Amino acid sequence: MVQINLPQNSKVQKGKYYKDNTGSKNIRKVNIYRWDPSTGDKPRIDTYEVDMDNCPSKVLDLLNKIKNEIDPSIAYRRSCAHGVCGSCAMNMDGKNGLACTKPHKEIKGDINIYPLPHLKVQKDLIGDLSTLYKQYASVEPWLKNSKKDDAKENIQSIEDRSKLDGLYECIMCACCSTSCPSYWWNGDKYLGPAVLLQAYRWIIDSRDEERKERLKKVADELKLYRCHTIMNCTNACPKGLNPAKAIASIKKMLATS
Amino acid sequence: MKNDNPLSPHIQIYNWHISSLVSISHRITGIINIIIITLICFWVSLLLLGNSNYELIQNFFGTFFGKFVIIASAWSFSFQILSEIRHLFWDFGIGFELKTSNITGLIVIFGSFILTIFIFILGRNLVL
Repeated sequence: MVQINLPQNSKVQKGKYYKDNTGSKNIRKVNIYRWDPSTGDKPRIDTYEVDMDNCPSKVLDLLNKIKNEIDPSIAYRRSCAHGVCGSCAMNMDGKNGLACTKPHKEIKGDINIYPLPHLKVQKDLIGDLSTLYKQYASVEPWLKNSKKDDAKENIQSIEDRSKLDGLYECIMCACCSTSCPSYWWNGDKYLGPAVLLQAYRWIIDSRDEERKERLKKVADELKLYRCHTIMNCTNACPKGLNPAKAIASIKKMLATS
Repeated sequence: MKNDNPLSPHIQIYNWHISSLVSISHRITGIINIIIITLICFWVSLLLLGNSNYELIQNFFGTFFGKFVIIASAWSFSFQILSEIRHLFWDFGIGFELKTSNITGLIVIFGSFILTIFIFILGRNLVL
């Protein structure tokens, strides 16, 4: 269901203001979404003044600096800091991306940081992705092959292997799915770009023997065809992949088979 | 278990891209076009009822609001047609690269206005 307004308990309020105490001349304001489950308060936006002279280049560095030097209570996910693990996916400057690969120089004006859109917030910048993981499990993302001879190599031609390029690089950071308006309104039924890209990755794999079953399973008015080619997913993907094209390829396969 | 955690902001904070703007406009113009086509059907059946109806409608289209309605519907049809052609290419799996889709999106937006002017010129018999 399309619900433009946020529910009553999710309305964002003005929060605390942390003034700079380093006396630096190069100050930027950082607005961060905060919500603490241990209090009954509504979410709020806290503003931090950050000394940019002593801050490395990425948004994640900025968050680390705030957590280390200004406010240790702020919570966010992060791990590899090299755009490989997908933990630090969040909404920066109105666009989803990885905090560890997004330079804060690219952002003009105040830096606004929110959790990934339209998720149940667990704390501050951490959203609940359990629905997405359940949907990911539902496409059975593993190789299905009846060959019992494990000692032999499962050979794939160079051409067949190249079909997986642009699909296997996906790190499941959920930037694309949470940028998709269709996924916002029908996230419980529509699989979303991330999961459909993964579904296509197994459909197109020449070593997989259950292509027909996989296609049949995903061919559903709600699961697949809620994609209206809005292209927010492709715009958001921090790895430069194209989920919209993968979904279109599934639709094309279904139309022509 | 009911989850009472707040929902993170979505459409309130998300940036508009060319592609999302064209997508939502495609839907809105689609709905408008259905209404316009229905009205055209009523208009045609009213004309069958005689001269006085013809004059009534003629006078309405002569007013400023009437002209606005005509030009607006010409734009709505233009936008829908161009955007639909874009979707047709997508259905063949063509034009999904970010750069291509942005260019075709801009073509749809600007093309719709150019097509509207073209229809206007044709309709006023300014050429041909």
